[in-house]
Amino acid sequence: MTRLDPAAGPPPLAPAAAVARADASGVGGVIYDIGYRGYDGPRLGRRAAVWALFAFSWRAAFGLGRSGRAKVVPWGVLAIISLPAVVQSAVIATVGPLGARAGGGFTYDNYLFRMSLLALVFLAAQAPELLVGDQRQRVLSLYFAHALERIDYALAKLAAMVVSLFMVTLVPLLVLLLGQTFASSDPFGSLRDQLGSLPAILGSAAIYVVLYSAVGMAIAAFTPRRAYAIAAIVAVFLVGSAVSPLLRRAGAGFGDWTLLLNLNTIAEGVRHSLFGGEANGAVAGASLSGITYEGMALAVVLVGVAAYLWRYQRIET
Amino acid sequence: MPLIESRSLTHRYPGNILALDNLTLDVEPGVIGLVGANGAGKSTFIKILLGLLEPTSGEASVLDLDVRRDGTRIRSLVGYMPEHDCLPADLSATDLVTHMGRMSGLPAAAARERAADVLRHVGLYEERYRPIGGYSTGMKQRVKLAQALVHDPKLLLLDEPTNGLDPSGRDEMLGLIRRIGIEFGVATLVASHLLGEIERVCTYLLAIDAGRLLRAAPLASFTERTGTLAIEVEDGADALAERLSGGGLPGRVDGRTVLVDVPDEGAYVAIRDAIADLHLALVRLEPRRHRLEDLFQDEATDDAA
Repeated sequence: MTRLDPAAGPPPLAPAAAVARADASGVGGVIYDIGYRGYDGPRLGRRAAVWALFAFSWRAAFGLGRSGRAKVVPWGVLAIISLPAVVQSAVIATVGPLGARAGGGFTYDNYLFRMSLLALVFLAAQAPELLVGDQRQRVLSLYFAHALERIDYALAKLAAMVVSLFMVTLVPLLVLLLGQTFASSDPFGSLRDQLGSLPAILGSAAIYVVLYSAVGMAIAAFTPRRAYAIAAIVAVFLVGSAVSPLLRRAGAGFGDWTLLLNLNTIAEGVRHSLFGGEANGAVAGASLSGITYEGMALAVVLVGVAAYLWRYQRIET
Repeated sequence: MPLIESRSLTHRYPGNILALDNLTLDVEPGVIGLVGANGAGKSTFIKILLGLLEPTSGEASVLDLDVRRDGTRIRSLVGYMPEHDCLPADLSATDLVTHMGRMSGLPAAAARERAADVLRHVGLYEERYRPIGGYSTGMKQRVKLAQALVHDPKLLLLDEPTNGLDPSGRDEMLGLIRRIGIEFGVATLVASHLLGEIERVCTYLLAIDAGRLLRAAPLASFTERTGTLAIEVEDGADALAERLSGGGLPGRVDGRTVLVDVPDEGAYVAIRDAIADLHLALVRLEPRRHRLEDLFQDEATDDAA
């Protein structure tokens, strides 16, 4: 930038607003305080705001753009939930396919059922992370004063939870898939076989994710205290899975129906009825029909989401 | 285009609590003070203007947009600074203000750029990269103001913007509001229960009490001369008032002061002579101006009567 000619009088741009001249040695010229600038660009409105909130919340669920502490739980869970898949893939790659005797191996059918505790940790930590602060710190009153509606806020946050949890559950299954593929002597042929399992992989992850998210977000929406939210989410899952086998063994007359107290068993029942394969846990020996699990899962999801949306329609800001 | 219009606007909270009572007003752009005691209906009025609260009856529009039908559109064009704390502790000011820009519908790049701009305007520099949780009250108020300004609103609604600030913080905040309203030309409505503050920043005043509009007028007209002369004497205010009304100048006594309406120049002579004849010690003789406080005092007197 050339120095302005002093003889030319005051510079044409905002002369009164010139706040500082470069010092004696400065060759640069004049610094202007350009004052307040308006905005004439596009205003994208409600849809863009909802999308931005979804992206913002998804990043928050993984602690992106936040402090290191906020990253510990999401990335720790992702690492631990993937570890068995990585180890098994490494073993297959070095010593060859697991023999029939290694019946304890991880498969697409049993992975999430066995790892459900980690999915629960992610849910119990990150559902409150997404919702509780905005309530306690009354950030909601800012959101609702912007271009989005109450229901938009609720749905964007719910979608962020579903997508984050989906990624956490999908990564280990994809690691398994890649492990199987590249251990084979014919990776391309094997990949074709493995891709046949893709609907089952996506489907089973989706079942766990939707059920978990609906319950976790509904609970987190009802308290502005993080500790209560975490405790309540963990309690709903763990009490169910503890009480259900006890009642069943006590033979209180409810028989296999007690399985429906356990959210993990419900998810596994739905997965088994839709995608087959080995049945895990209590589902293996139970006589409940697939439609029973599916109906129960649907009811839980509908009640959870309805309660969640109702809460955000009513909540005082 | 009128900035804010309302017709017979009434709002009742559950339990039959009347918050706004038949409010009819037209407001042109400027820096508008909305003054009233706590509970007078200021926050209710603002929430209705934002489309967050549906009025019980009556009409209201902001920037020619109906508050019942076009709430989302209004909120994308209006900036709102709530009265209470509303900032997330774990975000930095830059991140929060950028995010709120996007919540108003700004594209990502524009939101970032304008966030940097407005944070500079409100006087937050290096600290804007630190989490808000560590900010002082004054800094938090600035962030609240910045997030209301980030999308270049056509109207700023500020609810008790000096809440919780110390005297120097108040001065700075009022200076900032004045600058935004007058220099930057952003139409602004400032709600406050403090007349003294409103007086310093506003060009137009709306006074409400118990949900009713007391007066809406340019600030100057609130403080103009009234044509009343205040005569303060040591003793004998009653005698003076009697004497003056006998001479065709009816007045009323307020403590040691007699308030007289002055019809013409000749009245001054009559008043001087009356004081001299009664041998009264004159303390003060001054034309009376309206004071903002009178609005509310008169109202209170009427209620008591």
